[in-house]
Amino acid sequence: MPREAELSNIERTFILEALAQNIRLDGRARDDFRNLDVSFGDDYGACAVQLGKTKVNTRISAEVTKPFEERKFDGIFTITTELSPLASPAFETGRQTEQEVIVSRILEKAIRRSNAIDTESLCIIAGAKCWSIRADVHVLDYDGGLVDASCISIIAALQHFRRPDVSIDGENVTIYSLAEREPVPLSLMHHPICITFSFYHGGETVLLDATLHEEQARDGEMIVTMNRHGELCQIAKLGGVSVDALILLGCMNMTVTKVKDITELISTKLREDATHRDVGGLIAELSAQNDR
Amino acid sequence: MGISILPPSDSDDDLGSGSPGSPSPSPHDSSSDTSMPDAASTSSSRRPGAGKRPKLSSSQRRRNRILVPGETITDEAQWMRGHGTFSAAAPSSSHASASAGATITATLPGPLHTTNKLLSITPLRSRYHPSIGDLVLGRIVSVDRARWRVDIAAPLLAQLPLSSINLPGGVLRRRTTADELQMRTYFQEGDLLVAEVQGVGNSDGVATLHTRSLRYGKLRNGVFVRVMGEGRGVGVVRGRRQVFTVATVAGSGSGSGSGEVDVALGVNGYCWVSRHVDPEADALEKEKAGKAKMAGAGSRVGMSISNLDELVSNEIYSSQNDEIDYRTRKEIARLCTCITLLADAALKIDEDTVIKAYSAAVEAEMEMMVDEDDEDAVAAAAAAGVDRKSELKKRIVQAVVGGG
Amino acid sequence: MPLDTASTYGQTLLRTDGRRWNELRRISASISTQPSTDGSSQFVMGNTVVVCNIVGPREGRGQRDTNNALIETEVTVAPFAQTDRRRRTKGDKRVQELQTTISSAFQAHLFTHLYPRSSITISLHVLSLDGALLASCLNAASLALVDAGVPMPSILAAVTSGVITSTDGITPSDPILDLNNSEELELPFLSVGTVSGLSEHQEDKVSVLIMESRIQIGQNGKKLEAMLAVGVDGCKQVRTIMGEVVRTHGTRILRGRK
Repeated sequence: MPREAELSNIERTFILEALAQNIRLDGRARDDFRNLDVSFGDDYGACAVQLGKTKVNTRISAEVTKPFEERKFDGIFTITTELSPLASPAFETGRQTEQEVIVSRILEKAIRRSNAIDTESLCIIAGAKCWSIRADVHVLDYDGGLVDASCISIIAALQHFRRPDVSIDGENVTIYSLAEREPVPLSLMHHPICITFSFYHGGETVLLDATLHEEQARDGEMIVTMNRHGELCQIAKLGGVSVDALILLGCMNMTVTKVKDITELISTKLREDATHRDVGGLIAELSAQNDR
Repeated sequence: MGISILPPSDSDDDLGSGSPGSPSPSPHDSSSDTSMPDAASTSSSRRPGAGKRPKLSSSQRRRNRILVPGETITDEAQWMRGHGTFSAAAPSSSHASASAGATITATLPGPLHTTNKLLSITPLRSRYHPSIGDLVLGRIVSVDRARWRVDIAAPLLAQLPLSSINLPGGVLRRRTTADELQMRTYFQEGDLLVAEVQGVGNSDGVATLHTRSLRYGKLRNGVFVRVMGEGRGVGVVRGRRQVFTVATVAGSGSGSGSGEVDVALGVNGYCWVSRHVDPEADALEKEKAGKAKMAGAGSRVGMSISNLDELVSNEIYSSQNDEIDYRTRKEIARLCTCITLLADAALKIDEDTVIKAYSAAVEAEMEMMVDEDDEDAVAAAAAAGVDRKSELKKRIVQAVVGGG
Repeated sequence: MPLDTASTYGQTLLRTDGRRWNELRRISASISTQPSTDGSSQFVMGNTVVVCNIVGPREGRGQRDTNNALIETEVTVAPFAQTDRRRRTKGDKRVQELQTTISSAFQAHLFTHLYPRSSITISLHVLSLDGALLASCLNAASLALVDAGVPMPSILAAVTSGVITSTDGITPSDPILDLNNSEELELPFLSVGTVSGLSEHQEDKVSVLIMESRIQIGQNGKKLEAMLAVGVDGCKQVRTIMGEVVRTHGTRILRGRK
């Protein structure tokens, strides 16, 4: 079984001592995110997120299927995460590692269970036909912050995605191709964003967006998911070092501002992409005038 | 000042009289401790005056009080922390807690022991922690290169180096690769053995065993019993004699077999009850048989003292059980039950208690014996089967407790 | 009128099972329930029953960290634990998350450095489940580890706490302690596990904190703060009860020895 190369003792001590002096290896402040870049592909629903050296690609796809028997009025939304050996030699195809289970479980709780997608809107004919939306998350490069980056990429991709329009005529369902009718965006209830906090020095030092090395040296972590309205979607402090409750509450408050920043960044990027796509539209004409 | 380890009930008295170095050795201290019911009240009233150990004097000093992990023992600086305790001064926050004083908290459940100024807790129950000189029983788990790995119920497997066993024939020589290749002829996986702890690793506490004595080695002709080990007051206690022979009732009867049973109590809680083996008598018997055989084959082999030695030694790695007659087997079973019964009753297990329990069991059985011919009595005994068992148990426990 | 806590509480200030907001369910526990293992416990919290066995510290199998003991956890939820008979498979992600959480919490909490190269296996069996799955498992494991004589700085105690959000704006939003299954389905709740602070002057520290439902954190996180405060306080109560269980057991053992 391949495993991540363990941090050497000297590296660990160095990271911890530097942190004690309030210095991070890459010179960031404790509550700084790494450089976050969100870009979209040519197709709808393809999104690449780069967080420092971590790269995550998400692809949304939609197909028409039969809804689950016990949930006749709901569409289906699934998230699959794939940690392939492409990202890190520690990842293996096939067998799910504990880390992979936790990542997918947290994304599931953060996005699916918090009802980010209005699954009822995915229903076409109750009990017979519905949309099944699938988010495939591929980690291309791994340098820590997996949950944060994956969550951002799924949320951005969901906002970017357009599903084909359908019309219902009695029992007949017509699905229009992208050329025939303008595809419709998904109906999202809110945009949850995950923020991971890493704890050091027995919970006294808190870091945001740890790199892989920092992750390996940490004593514990907490993943908080929130949307920009300040609604908590989930908290996951799965063991690890015990931390003062007040510090944890401080983390929650810090999350509020961070989530706002990230949501803002995603919508800026989405607007840019929309402008870019709208060649030949009204906006393109306006810009042509400006050029003159 | 010598260090003395005292049982928990005496710990308080020891503090009053046994630490002349302390600032105010009040003579009142030791005398008031004898009256236990009002100990709490006297101690609390004494607190301002004595000033020697305010925290320890109130609730913790109560007789045999069980401490729970996380419970504060004391926050006075004069005490030293021992096994089962923990000082709050964590490495990361040592500067912060320096002002708060070194609070000593318990990390194990159990009564507090005070040895002069050293505070320690012996847990109610824990795995066996090997220490040098312990007689232990073990089970071979694997055969490695030039050593065996032995399960002795400790956190880690013990090791038995090839160089620490007696070779058959009593030869003393360097162990060669040829010996390494035939290690399985001495001990195989699953074999039971009795050995002594020769050393304990400094860093990890791995025990190294040796069997370099005729008393140690492979076990056979008996039954394995597992109880709780390491003298915590319960289970097997480190005692003067861990291996002893019990003269059972089997011997008094027909005379087939000596009727003696060997009991080996390992400090780790593993015990072995087996037919008594008298090495010399046994060897002579074997020799006779061997001679007869050889005579039958028509060869002439001289018998010498060295030859005898060899025969004895070859026997020690045999895995073949000898014939054991029914009566001895019954007594072996009775002894095994006595040992488990002692463990269940949370009594200590040593030579004394085992023999007491055994004789009580025999006696009780004699008394309760039912005349097999009397059908009514047999039926009544069958009906009262459970009662009889518990009655038997009660008697045995009483005999041991009362005597001790 | 639907019989649920959210609607009855506004009128009576009592929950459906008659408890007040800060009342725990009845807790009973015992340790050394299974003499054949190194440590064992049974923990009952209301209608939730969890049995825990500890094996170890014993020789670890090819682990990397040679300086510490490795904590492994196995959780089995009996098919008959809940009203609907359901078999949870080994690969259930929820159970796996539970196992990871329990291992990780004790890995950081216990003095594992005292047992190099060894492993401690916690096996938990949930016999009956009426809410507080994680909390009961943590408590049972804690007690069993105490019984096994594994050194730890304090007893890790866990509890759930939730919040009743007022619907009419008149009644206040109250935090509640120790939810049962129907309350868990209905209200947002936290699972909190805490350990005592290092000294008496320090507050308890939070080791496990899990929330799976969506709530408004309220102004400056007031709602969350209230839930957390109630949870931490509840853990303190549970810890006292657990300490008493250990003490009673120990006293009985000592009495037997004389």
